[in-house]
Amino acid sequence: MALVELVNLGQQFQGNVILEAINLKVERGEAFALIGPTGAGKTTLLRLIDLLDSPVKGQIYFDGVDVTRSGRKRLAARRRMAYVQQKPIVFSMNVYDNVACGLKWRHQERKAIRKKVEEALELVSMADYQSRDAKTLSGGETQLVAIARALVTEPEMLLLDEPTANLDPVSTSKIESVLARIIQETRTTILMATHDMSQGQRLAQMIGVLMEGKLVQIGQKSEIFEKPLNLKVAGFVGMQNILKGVITSNEDGVVSIDVRGKLIEAISDYQAGEEVCVCIRPEDIALSFSKPSSSARNAFEGEIKSIISSGPLASVELDCGFPLVALMTVRSAKEMELGIGKRIFASFKATAVHVVKS
Amino acid sequence: MKRNWLTIALILIMAVSIIAGIPACGDNDDKAPTPAQTPIVTQSSPTPESTSVSVLPGKGRLRVATTTSLYDTGLWGYLEPMFEKKYGVELDVINVGSGIALKYGENGDVDVLTVHDKAAELKFIADGFGKERTIFAYNHFLIVGPADDPAGIKGMLPEDAFKKLAETGAATFVSRGDNSGTHSKEKAIWKAAGYDYAAIEKTGRWYVEAGQGMGPTLTMADEKQGYTLTDIGTFLAFEGKINLVPIVDQGSILLNVYSVIPVTKTKKPEMAQNMVNFLTSPEIQRLIGDYGVVQYGQPLFIPCAGQPEPTS
Amino acid sequence: MANPCSYPALASLNQHHSNRNAKVLLSELWDSIVKAIHLLVSLDHDVYEVAWRSLWIALASCGISFLLISLPLGSLIHFNRFPGKMILITLIQTLFSLPTVAVGLIVFMFISRSGPLGEFGLLFTPKGMIIGQIILVTPVTMGLVISALTGVDKAVPETATALGASRLQASLITITEAKFAMMTAFVMGFGRAISEVGVSLMVGGNIRGYTRTLTTAISLETAKGEIEFSLALGFILILIAVVVNVALLLLGRKRGPIRWLWSSS
Repeated sequence: MALVELVNLGQQFQGNVILEAINLKVERGEAFALIGPTGAGKTTLLRLIDLLDSPVKGQIYFDGVDVTRSGRKRLAARRRMAYVQQKPIVFSMNVYDNVACGLKWRHQERKAIRKKVEEALELVSMADYQSRDAKTLSGGETQLVAIARALVTEPEMLLLDEPTANLDPVSTSKIESVLARIIQETRTTILMATHDMSQGQRLAQMIGVLMEGKLVQIGQKSEIFEKPLNLKVAGFVGMQNILKGVITSNEDGVVSIDVRGKLIEAISDYQAGEEVCVCIRPEDIALSFSKPSSSARNAFEGEIKSIISSGPLASVELDCGFPLVALMTVRSAKEMELGIGKRIFASFKATAVHVVKS
Repeated sequence: MKRNWLTIALILIMAVSIIAGIPACGDNDDKAPTPAQTPIVTQSSPTPESTSVSVLPGKGRLRVATTTSLYDTGLWGYLEPMFEKKYGVELDVINVGSGIALKYGENGDVDVLTVHDKAAELKFIADGFGKERTIFAYNHFLIVGPADDPAGIKGMLPEDAFKKLAETGAATFVSRGDNSGTHSKEKAIWKAAGYDYAAIEKTGRWYVEAGQGMGPTLTMADEKQGYTLTDIGTFLAFEGKINLVPIVDQGSILLNVYSVIPVTKTKKPEMAQNMVNFLTSPEIQRLIGDYGVVQYGQPLFIPCAGQPEPTS
Repeated sequence: MANPCSYPALASLNQHHSNRNAKVLLSELWDSIVKAIHLLVSLDHDVYEVAWRSLWIALASCGISFLLISLPLGSLIHFNRFPGKMILITLIQTLFSLPTVAVGLIVFMFISRSGPLGEFGLLFTPKGMIIGQIILVTPVTMGLVISALTGVDKAVPETATALGASRLQASLITITEAKFAMMTAFVMGFGRAISEVGVSLMVGGNIRGYTRTLTTAISLETAKGEIEFSLALGFILILIAVVVNVALLLLGRKRGPIRWLWSSS
């Protein structure tokens, strides 16, 4: 039985519909990432699951028990979950006392508390911070303390709202490694909301895409990222190349799509004449100066319009009659001596092309 | 959370205060220090010299409401420890005007009154609020004013002086305006001069109602360079502080008799009676007569217990 | 203080000048400060007795008002929703300006022997004064407790709830997070209590050795024309208030007392 089940959940705020028809099951021990753009309703959904707010429609089941309304059952269920908010606040006490809060409220023994707090701080690599004033911590440290504070209560379910949203890359990777550890070493069910789909991909196994208050797709991470159900999801999961076209032919599942006069080959079930969108991930596009003789069925010549580097990666934008964005390392780009205006070949496999109804 | 000594100290003080402060039934003493705590005195049989002393169990309290002229001159401060020592009680002396003192007596909030407003006192007793009226001292009122006597009333009789003040309306007169014994005497003089007091209040800005005790009234009269009616005791006590001088001090109407009245509603009638006995006892009478002589060169009060009531 | 003979030194200081000018006033003020120091240093019994009474009565009133009334009731009002909540809070704030004499009068009428609570014999006792001061001070402490709680980020009780705190536990931690503002609430209540005259005078009766406080003593000495003594008592009152306030405010600080007092931030 699923640990948490949401049936047709809906939520409103001041007359505006925030969430609609949410159906979700989270299994025990699962690491679930809820991804979606800012404002999609992720925080609202998490708050509903943590039973901080009551939904206007639908039911919530925790471990099989309907906890949508009843006060006492909600408190009992809430004590089996832990929620780390997006910008967690720490209380005006030292780190040890902060982490120990939840246990003190559950009236646990001092010795047991000490042991658990130290273990939790160890888990988040903050063991040396015990007597520090929690208000003096940096953003990343605060987040870790908040996570430890949540974990120490040994929740069956840990809810995290954008755990690295406001942090620098170093803190982000620290927290991600801590979360990865938690996911590996404990049996805690994790539900985490993030707008960073690659983070979701790194940490979770199951992904739910929340857009404009609706859960548009749920599935294994490979599914979501390789087979987004519609355009919006595709755009969100990083398929930067989205091109409109018409299917000209379909032979045994191999289709030809006319995109601005050029033909792109892909694998799809759609029939000739249908209007579709072609989605290609930038990292699936290979660039070369000579015409590729590889098995890539799609090869187009084009002119480099721009090269934008961010960190170790470079986005190369080409005009092949239609725009294409390819992704490579900055080093490769240098080695190839790519420059604006140069003519180059872009190639990608048919299997890398994802066809969606437009 | 770390406890530090400051927190503990304050919590302790607070706890002590709250414990001492939580209201309880009864009017027994609290934990605050009081000066000169004397041990409980019990006398089972009356001694030949003094009258019988009845002592309250524990350290009881006797409340006296007094007129301000007996208090502000320091007489009560002088007599208080003596009474407390002799009778083994705590004496609470509440210093208010005669009008208020009589009201407290009506309510039963005090046990004894020492006041100086004969008409009001008689009414008080007639209404059943007081047992009886025992005089124990007297002195005189006087009209004081600026040395240059702008209204030209020096040496006149009080009634005539008031008449002149009302007619000319030139010089300021400051009234107590607070229903005290002094104020009652002032009203009596206006009446004797043939005026309706309510009319006087409205005649003009020369008549000022201070609404305060004798001290502030004298100060106000001094500031305004005006006249006022005052008892001799407070006036002498304020001698160095103001520049007013006696203007009118002859006239039988200026007689000021102090009396002590036990309140009917008191819970301690015997101790209240003790106060009467105390004030009229020969040694205290003598002390009252000597009070202030050294400091002011003249007695402030003339003892008269047991004598027929003076008329001038 | 009723006996003029207890202050022989004072008699020589009593000079009333009919032409008051700034120089005279300043010298009087200075003499009062000197007198105040002298009274304190010489451990003058009457002054200490009266000062201690002012202090403990104000502490008791404020303590009871803050801990037993304002903190629980104020928290209840703040943490719950109910119709008319804003009206109630506004009313509490209006009562900040209760005139002390009016309160003194009303309390007097209640606890006088001829009043409904007469049998408890509370009139002209310190306990009666404490009751009156509690009535005076409670609107201030309660209003400021509510204000203090309002100033705490809503995330605090929410985080606590999310960590499994019951409603009571979440309320307690919110109160703790508002510690400094709570201290201010107490300090303000204490200030109002220790500096008021109306209630102490009417309900206490200014009885020497029993219900006389610094403020009622000041009023008495002023009426007797003892200006310098009054001012000296006034300075002592301010001194007590300063000491208590500083002590209370220091409680909330993390740094050492001297560094905190001297810091410029």
